[in-house]
Amino acid sequence: MPRVIYSQAYKAYDFGEDHPFSPARHDMLLDLLSELGHSPVLTEPQPATREEILTVHEEPYVQRVESLSRGEPVADAQNFGLCTADNPCFPGMDLAARWLVGGALEGARMITEGEEQKVLQLGGGLHHAQPGRASGFCIYSDLGVTIRRLTSQGFYVAYLDIDVHHGDGVQKIFYADEKVLTISFHESGRYLFPGTGDVHELGSGAGRGLKLNVPLEPYTEGASYLETFDQLVPNALEWFKPQILVVQAGADAHFEDPLADLMLTTRTYEALYRRILDYADRFAAGKVLFTLGGGYSPRAVPRVWAILTLLLHGWPLPEKLPPSWVDRWSARLSLNLPDLLHDPEASFDPIPRAEEISRRNRQVCDRLLEATSRYWF
Amino acid sequence: MLVQDVMTKRVVTVSPAATLQEAYEIMQSGHIRHLPVVEEDRLAGVITDRDLRLATSLLAPAPFAPQARVGDVMNRTVLTSDALDPVEDAARTMREHKIGCLPVLEEGRLAGIVTGIDLLDALLKLTGVTAPSGRLELRLPDRPGELARLTGLVSERNVNIHSLLTYPEERECVRTVLRVNTIETRPLASALREAGFDVVWPPDKPCPA
Repeated sequence: MPRVIYSQAYKAYDFGEDHPFSPARHDMLLDLLSELGHSPVLTEPQPATREEILTVHEEPYVQRVESLSRGEPVADAQNFGLCTADNPCFPGMDLAARWLVGGALEGARMITEGEEQKVLQLGGGLHHAQPGRASGFCIYSDLGVTIRRLTSQGFYVAYLDIDVHHGDGVQKIFYADEKVLTISFHESGRYLFPGTGDVHELGSGAGRGLKLNVPLEPYTEGASYLETFDQLVPNALEWFKPQILVVQAGADAHFEDPLADLMLTTRTYEALYRRILDYADRFAAGKVLFTLGGGYSPRAVPRVWAILTLLLHGWPLPEKLPPSWVDRWSARLSLNLPDLLHDPEASFDPIPRAEEISRRNRQVCDRLLEATSRYWF
Repeated sequence: MLVQDVMTKRVVTVSPAATLQEAYEIMQSGHIRHLPVVEEDRLAGVITDRDLRLATSLLAPAPFAPQARVGDVMNRTVLTSDALDPVEDAARTMREHKIGCLPVLEEGRLAGIVTGIDLLDALLKLTGVTAPSGRLELRLPDRPGELARLTGLVSERNVNIHSLLTYPEERECVRTVLRVNTIETRPLASALREAGFDVVWPPDKPCPA
């Protein structure tokens, strides 16, 4: 039985009422799973230690997070990406961020010690955090610390990032690392935060050819997304032969997401998760650690991550959502939540440039394969 | 941005007494296309890979031999730049004369070289991503105070502007591209629209049916 890691302490990672990276997203998801009669067994982790954080993050940065966490003023906080619009400071943020790192570490431990093959960390996925800087809602890199632990134990790790934003923090930490393959699918940085993730970012030194980026056109739809995914991911994994797959399962490529411009539906996500689980079995000896990530539409996110949790356990996908759940959360959020698990077939008006978008995405994927082939073979 | 900020300071040079063969080998091994020719600490000319190819081509009326001297083939009238010139001056000179490099002189001595590639680097620096940031593109009316109003609204939201690029457009507009340190570029764009700005990117998303 796959395991799900979660602690009530995760709720402390909260940037405030109006901030999109809200812990309410977990509450909605767990409540939905419970109403569906499929509450996963939750495992409580420990927060990561300061020493574990320092395997990836720089001491001066960690010191500032700690000071701000205690409510002390830090004059140069903004130079470290802290106390900005995206990463406001709050009391206890050091420990709150360490809890999320601890969850991912616990997931990796379960897998490497043979307790479980497939684990979902119900939180985290803080892929923008940099060694010396907070960025894009991310304070400490749960992914970075965990992957570093895995490589120090000798594992070859494939990191797959389906968040709509480029996984820049993780890429940066492992840019020259030959034991880590990173693959990020995202909306092109030409338009979207954080601006990086172009095809030509291929890694450096021994890591050259191991950092793969697929920058997709704004308004890319599911079919084109899956086409590029199929073109790249199985080939890359088959070649790299990872011993474990780490997946950042951000849900913000959904068409209703308020922060980005891709047009995936819940049906695309179902197809995507089925592929990832299949690839884990075929190319990573069945070992996969999922984290959550971005995802800011309360109408979409609980459904997308419920699909992930249900598929992970091999549980059936319901057609309808429990009316009591829909009513309760609709009232609480003053929103009209959908009744069905899946988006309707025609969820949005046809995209005028759809053909052109698909053509450009194919071209980007071709260019990436051309650029990497001389490192792979 | 000045020429001294983008130029190559350690310049590979050649003597006019060197052979074309030697000049060719220097260019090949250094992956460079332009060689200032220096004689007794003084800039005597420039020889480029194109000069070598044309001078030795079988198609030339009287092709030079590989053992011919650089001094016989080099360009003697050389356009130069000063380290304190703005890069746009260097770019204009190179564009007008359709040349690929300018040796940089300081008190008559060779202090560096600026090439087309250095100017491309400058363009990348001006337009590129230097920190995690989102991109906003607006069409501003070409009149006083518009940029101030824009940056005022951005600053009210505690958002930092990493870079700002503006260029004139038709219809008395100025196209303005900002890189801002926020992942919430869309909400920021909506707020700017509400304040009356013409936001070109990100556009409004097609509404869910």
